[in-house]
Parts: sequence; C-alpha cells; structure tokens
Amino acid sequence: MNHKLSRFAVPYVVWMALFVVAPIVLVVIYAFSSDAGGFTLDNFARMGTYAVVFGRSFKLALIATLICLLIGYPVSYVMSKEGPRFQRAAMVLIMLPMWINFLLRTYSWMSILENNGLLNRLFQKIGLIHLYNSLFGTELSYFPMMNTQGAVILGMVYNYLPFMILPIYSVIVKLDGSLIEAARDLGADALSVFRKVILPLSLPGVLSGITMVFVPSVSTFAISKMLGGGTEMILGDLIEQQFLGGAYNPQLGAAISLVMMLIVVVCMVVMNRFGEGEEQAVML
Amino acid sequence: MKRRNSIVSRVFTALVFLFLYAPIFLLIVFSFNRGNSNVVWSGFSLDWYRELFRNRLIMRSVYTTLLVSLLATAIATVAGTFAAIGFYSLRRRSRNLLNTVNNIPMMNADIVTGVAMCLFFVAFFTFWSDFAIWFNGVQGLIVLPERLTLGFGTLLIAHVTFNIPYVILSVGPKLRQMDKNLVDAAMDLGCTWMQAFWKVILPEIKPGITSGALTAFTMSVDDFIISYFTAGSSSSTLAMTIYGMTKKRVTPEINAISTLLFITVLALLVVVNLREARAERRGEEHRPVSSRFSQFFDTPRGRRLRRGAAGALAACFLAAVVLLTGATNAQPVVNVCSWGEYIDEDLITQFEEETGIIVNYQTAESNETLYSLLKSGAGDYDVIVPSDYMISQLIEEDMLSELDFSQIPNYALISDRFKGLTYDPEERYSVPYAWGTVGIIYNETMVNEPVTSWSVLFDDQYAGNVLMFRNSRDAMATALGYLGYSLNTTDEAELREAFQLLKDAKNRGVYQSFVMDEIFQKLEGGNAAIGVYYAGDYLTMRENNEDLCFAVPEEGSNWFMDAMCVLKDAPHYDEAMAWINFIASTEANLANMDYLWYGSPNQEALEQYPAYYQELYEEELDQADYDIIAAPPEVLDRCEAYLVLPFETRQLYNELWTELGI
Repeated sequence: MNHKLSRFAVPYVVWMALFVVAPIVLVVIYAFSSDAGGFTLDNFARMGTYAVVFGRSFKLALIATLICLLIGYPVSYVMSKEGPRFQRAAMVLIMLPMWINFLLRTYSWMSILENNGLLNRLFQKIGLIHLYNSLFGTELSYFPMMNTQGAVILGMVYNYLPFMILPIYSVIVKLDGSLIEAARDLGADALSVFRKVILPLSLPGVLSGITMVFVPSVSTFAISKMLGGGTEMILGDLIEQQFLGGAYNPQLGAAISLVMMLIVVVCMVVMNRFGEGEEQAVML
Repeated sequence: MKRRNSIVSRVFTALVFLFLYAPIFLLIVFSFNRGNSNVVWSGFSLDWYRELFRNRLIMRSVYTTLLVSLLATAIATVAGTFAAIGFYSLRRRSRNLLNTVNNIPMMNADIVTGVAMCLFFVAFFTFWSDFAIWFNGVQGLIVLPERLTLGFGTLLIAHVTFNIPYVILSVGPKLRQMDKNLVDAAMDLGCTWMQAFWKVILPEIKPGITSGALTAFTMSVDDFIISYFTAGSSSSTLAMTIYGMTKKRVTPEINAISTLLFITVLALLVVVNLREARAERRGEEHRPVSSRFSQFFDTPRGRRLRRGAAGALAACFLAAVVLLTGATNAQPVVNVCSWGEYIDEDLITQFEEETGIIVNYQTAESNETLYSLLKSGAGDYDVIVPSDYMISQLIEEDMLSELDFSQIPNYALISDRFKGLTYDPEERYSVPYAWGTVGIIYNETMVNEPVTSWSVLFDDQYAGNVLMFRNSRDAMATALGYLGYSLNTTDEAELREAFQLLKDAKNRGVYQSFVMDEIFQKLEGGNAAIGVYYAGDYLTMRENNEDLCFAVPEEGSNWFMDAMCVLKDAPHYDEAMAWINFIASTEANLANMDYLWYGSPNQEALEQYPAYYQELYEEELDQADYDIIAAPPEVLDRCEAYLVLPFETRQLYNELWTELGI
C-alpha cells in the first residue's frame, strides 16, 4: 500500500500524545503522589474505606446493564425484522432523544417520580394509594420513588438504553440471511435458530452494548445526584467530590480515576477478544 | 425469509419507545404551561418562549454550545478523515497500537477523561506561566501572556479530542471496503497523491465522513461531564447551565429551548431520511426529478457554480465564527462567582448598561465547592463571594488580592458593625455582601408540633422526610450545635461524635436526601417536611408555599457574613472594583435585600428597607419577617460565626465528609 499517505497520520498522533496520553500519564502521577508531592501509595491504601461505594456502583451499574440488555436485545431483534422504512424511522427515534440534553431528561424524571410528582398525583387520583393503604393497612400518602436506588437505576436505563440497542441492532441487521435459511432447511426450529445461529453471531454487538452501558453507568455522577438525592453515592460522585466537590483531594480522586480506567481496560480486553464487533457497533 | 413480528413483540417495542419519549413529551407539554411548574398544568401560553429570548444566560450558553459543537465537528471531521487515511496506510502493528490509543477517549469513562484533561491543562498553564515570565524577562520583542486559563479554547480542544475517534471509527471501515488497487492505479496513471486523495479516496469514503460528522456533532451537543471539567468559568455550555439550574429549579425557558432544538433536529432528520429513501429508490426506478439538478451541476458552468457556492458557504461560516468570537472578546468583562439565586438579576443588566462591562455570572454550590474550583484551576474568577471562614482560609493561603478601596467609595456605607470582623480584621480584602442565620425550615402541615430544636434532624420521628446540608461545614454544625459543642471545635473526639450522629441518622434513613439549592424545589413542592437552610432563602420559599415556617434552634446556630473578594492576579481587576463598588451602593443593597431576603451590611439599606418595601408592595413589612431577614440581637447572641479551622481539622472534615457520603 502507499506509504506516502501514512504521513497524514502524523498530526493526529501528535495530538493524541498531547491530549490523550499526557493527561492520563498525569493522572497516574497524581495517583501516586502525596499532598506534598512525594511518592506514596497512601491513596490506594485509603481505597478500602470506599469499598462500599465500589460495591454499590457495581451493583447498580450491573443491574442497569442487565435491564438494558433484557429490553434492548428484543427491541433490536424486533426492529431488524421490520421493513426498511420502519427501521430507518426507528433509528431516528432512538438517536433523537440524545438531542435533548440528558440532564434535562433526567430532570423530567424527577418531576415524574417526586413524592408530590406526576405519578403519585396520578395514583392519588385513580385511588391506587388508597387501595394500597386499605389492602396492606399502611398510611402512605405517596409511594416513595425518588431518592432510592431504584430511581438511580431507572435513570441509568433510561439514559443508556440507546447505547445497548444501537450496537446490537447494527449487528443483527447485518446477519447473513442465508445462514438462517440454511439452519431452518436443516430442520432447526425457531428457538434453536435463535440459540445456535442468531445469538452467537450477535454476541459482538451484545458485548459492545454491555460495555457502552456499563462504563457510563458506573461513572455517572449527575444521575445519582439528581435521582438518588446524594444518599446513594457512586464512583462518579466520589471522583467529582475530590475535584470540584466538597472535599478537595485531587490525589485521591486521581487514584480512584486510575482504578476506573483499569475497569475500562478490562472491558476493552474482553471486547477485543471477540474481534471487530465493536467498530461497527459504536458507529451508526 | 423475514418473518413478521407478532403483536406482542410490536406492543413491547412500542412501550419501549413510549418509555423513551414520555419524559421528553412532558418537557414539551410543560413548555406551553402558563405557570412555572413542571407538574401542575395551569393553562396554555407562549410566555416561556418569549422569556427565553430575553434570558441572556440561556441564550449565551446555547450560542456557546452551538459554536463549540460546530467548530469541534468541523475540525474533528477534517482531522479525523486524514488521520483515518494515515492509519489505513500504516503497517498492521503500528496501526493496531494507534487504534488502541484512539479508542481511549471513547471507551474511557467521561469523568476520567474530563478530570485528566483538567489536570493536564492546569499543569500546562503553570508550566506556561513560568516559561512566559522567563521568556518576557530575557527579551522585549514579543510579549507572551503570562496567565492562561480554562475557557473556550480548552473546551474546544477537549471536544475535538473526544470527537476525532468517532470520525476515525466511521471512516476506517469505508477505507477498508475500498478497492486497495484504486489508489495505486490512480498514481500509476500519473496522479499526485493529493489528486489521488481528492479524486479517488474522498468520493469512496464520503458516507463514512458524513456519518462520522453527525455522530461527532451529536456527542458534542449531548456532552456535559467533559465540558464541566474543561470549560472553566468564562464559558458555559447549555448542559452546564442546565446542571446549574437542576440544583435549584429548572426554569421553563429551558423546556422551551429544548422543544425548539428537538423540533429543529426532528425536521432535519426527517428531511435527510426522506432524501436517503428517495436516493435508494432512485437505484431501482428511473430518472427522479432531482437528477435534472445533478445533471446541471455536472456541466462546467454548474460545477463552477457549485464550487462557488461551497466557497461562499465556507466563507460565511468562517466569517460568522470570527465575528462571534470577536464580539465576545471585544468588550471588557468581569467574571463573578456567587451562590445560586443570590442576586437580583436586574442589577447585572443595570451594571452592564451603565459601564459597558459584561458580567459572566456563575454560581458555586458551597464554600467547599468554591474552594475546590479555585484550587483545581477550573474556576477562573475575578470576584467571588465566599463566607467568613472561607475568606480567612483564602487569605491564609494567599489566594486573595488586596482591594483598592479608593475605587470603592461605597465601602463607607457599610455599617461599622460589619467592618473589621475576625476574618479580615484589617479590612484589606473584603467588602461585605449579605449576612444571615442558619435555621430549620419546616412544613407546618407535615409536622406534629412547632420545631424548636436541632433534634428533629437526628431522631426517627420524621424519618425519610428530612433534608440535610450537602456541605461538610454546615452539616457538621447542625450536629455540633445539637450536642452543645462549639461550631468551631477542633477537638477530634467531639467532631467524631458529631459525625457519628449524622452517620447513624443517615443509616437509619432519617435523611431523604442531601441537598443544597435543590431544597427550594423539594420544600416548595411539599416533597419533604423538614430542611435546614439559610434564613433568607426561607422567605423566598414561603412565597411559593405558605405552609413553610422557620426557626433558629434554641441550642443556637450559625450566623454568617458573605463578602466580596478579588482573587490574586485577577485578570480584570479594575472591572472587579467597579462591580464591587456598584454592588455596595445603597440602591443595589436595597434591591438585593428585597430579592434575597438576606440582611444587608449597608447601614442605610438596613434602615430604609421597611419603607422601601412599603412603597414597592403597598403593604407594611411584617416585623417578624424583618427579624428573619436581619436577625435581632437576642437571636444573634445565641449564634456563632464560623472561624477558619486549622489544616488538620479541615482534613478531618474532608475525610469524615467523604466517609459520610459512602
């Protein structure tokens, strides 16, 4: 191939070195230095205190990812079986919400879920709360939905569901139809066609979907702050707090960021094992 | 081979779409609401659309968002396309390595990218200023700016950096699909590599470039986290403005701008897709109408026209960018950072009209957050309005610059009571802004008896209905006050006891949430029974909910003074003095006192306020309300001002605070 063209890569390589690699190196340096500037492992030693936060983040993000998968896979599958016009429209409809900033969509959920919000008002009006109270002998005037882990998970699922649907859909829609026909001709029923042909072939899309939902879920801070009310702190909140929040400690923040990066690297290694899927998946 | 979907699966898909669109639909509906609630419908109106175009803060941030997204997309698309071609012609090993690095910003958590870039920029600025000072010292020919700050430039760099990978990712596959021999053939036939690029490669990868650009633009518009860490204080994107608002209440103008954006994009996408659909059909059918136009464009005259049009468009784009950036840079500015709803915004307009100085007004959440912003270099302000103890700390760390009182004649109007307080005994660094007390705000319909003690914040009586401070100093103070300790204690045992009290209450589920300005929306909407906040804000809340009451606990509480200070090396020092002098005037203090309901430090304003109120509202000011605005001596006597804590205690606070969060 023509090697003269490779010089086109030079400016971007320089750019990456400056704005991608150097900042990460800086994070590593910060993570291993103390307040005064010397080398220390203290920041990691203190990490044990935050085990609860790590546990909670993983739990919430995993649940959110699982729900996204359970919703996203069938939707992608259903979409891929519809006509081209429907598919195009559906793609537009999935991309479109991203144009309303996610903070605003999350805020909208706040007004739906509040104790005095839309849903509770609706329940009140149709007598659901009254019914619940008389059934279970409680005296609720509303269902508490805000400021719970459930609300945070809902926020994650809502915001990141498109990131699950898009990659899975783009893999399924490109499946070679003749494979499915062949399987059917060879006597496979619908279930085994799905299990033995479609599912394994769509795995790259699924994996990339999982990463694309899991990573932002585990590291968000706005969603947990808005829907969790600050009582359900997760990793993103912890990092933000050390930099721009109420407890200034960039060294600790950098150490947590470093751990965060390791998580991402693990995800990437897993994905690379399954080949090229990610590329077609991320892009649409 | 394709089989139809069953009704069940179609209904399921429809439900998922309903789930995706319900909140958006809600936003759109309530943008036409007459009232300012997102929950209660009070009639149709277009008021918020009218308000939107008058709201400078929102319009400015919309403009910043569009500008940075467009620029970043343009740069990233060009750079990314070239980079993709470069990558493609590299040998496999180096290509894989570069691809991995290229994937980092896309795969990495946004917050890590943001934090890393913020650290990098700040480190670079420090290095730069050392270099510039040295460089300016050794020669006099070129003068380098000694102080660089986060701002539009860093925001743009960050956006370009996270956009390029998306372009490469979408162009790369198209290159691989291309016949490898095409370029070689072209060059064998005498093309230069530039010609080979324009005539062979570009047409092949065009769809990839378009979709890459579209993705990049979408990502830019939707981004919040990375902008939050790299934009600094002088430019804020729409997302950042919204985030600032979600802390308090989102004004319906935001609903309106979202509706407009949404409809624009919807229309755009529909047009693009219809065209694509038509193009697809063109493959099958014969001669659609539009081909007449494309035929015309293939004639020499048409080609010239087309080139001319493209050139004109590009020139317009460039001119617009230059004009817009120029327009924002030409006028003198002052960057102010204060607290949420802490100024009568008409004052900003008035100041801008009188002096021609543009005010970049930003808010921080608490003193601790402000400190982090300053320390991390993300906040680049001229004037800040910290509270007493934080002023001492900033003075101690040599972060404030002395004020030039000859430019602030209105300082003479400040009451002697509020001059030379412990935080600034020599009156060199600060001009008082407002003062008040901390107390308990409760909804009388949701509690059993009037609240008089801190105890309600720690017992189970109102579990799940209590809002606690989200800042360490104030939260700890409630516990210290309840335990009867000094709010300024440095005794570790006492502090740990107070912390344990908070921690236990939190674990028992007493607190509904930890809030700062979110408290307005929660108490006003009747979503919580009890909260603890600042006296003036209580009166603001009561305007929206009559059931709210206020009490300064009998155990005593905190009284605070917020004062205007100027940061060391502030780039707009003289503008800052003008601003401070303007705010210290009696008129501004009266306006602020009426808007904030906080006590004014200005003697005349304090005395004149009841009369001012009567004239404005044609009713007498309730003495009880005046006592909440400006607490009388008997209340102040049981209150304690915060003092700056020694370094070890501050670290303990940080540690305990982080631990409380988890």
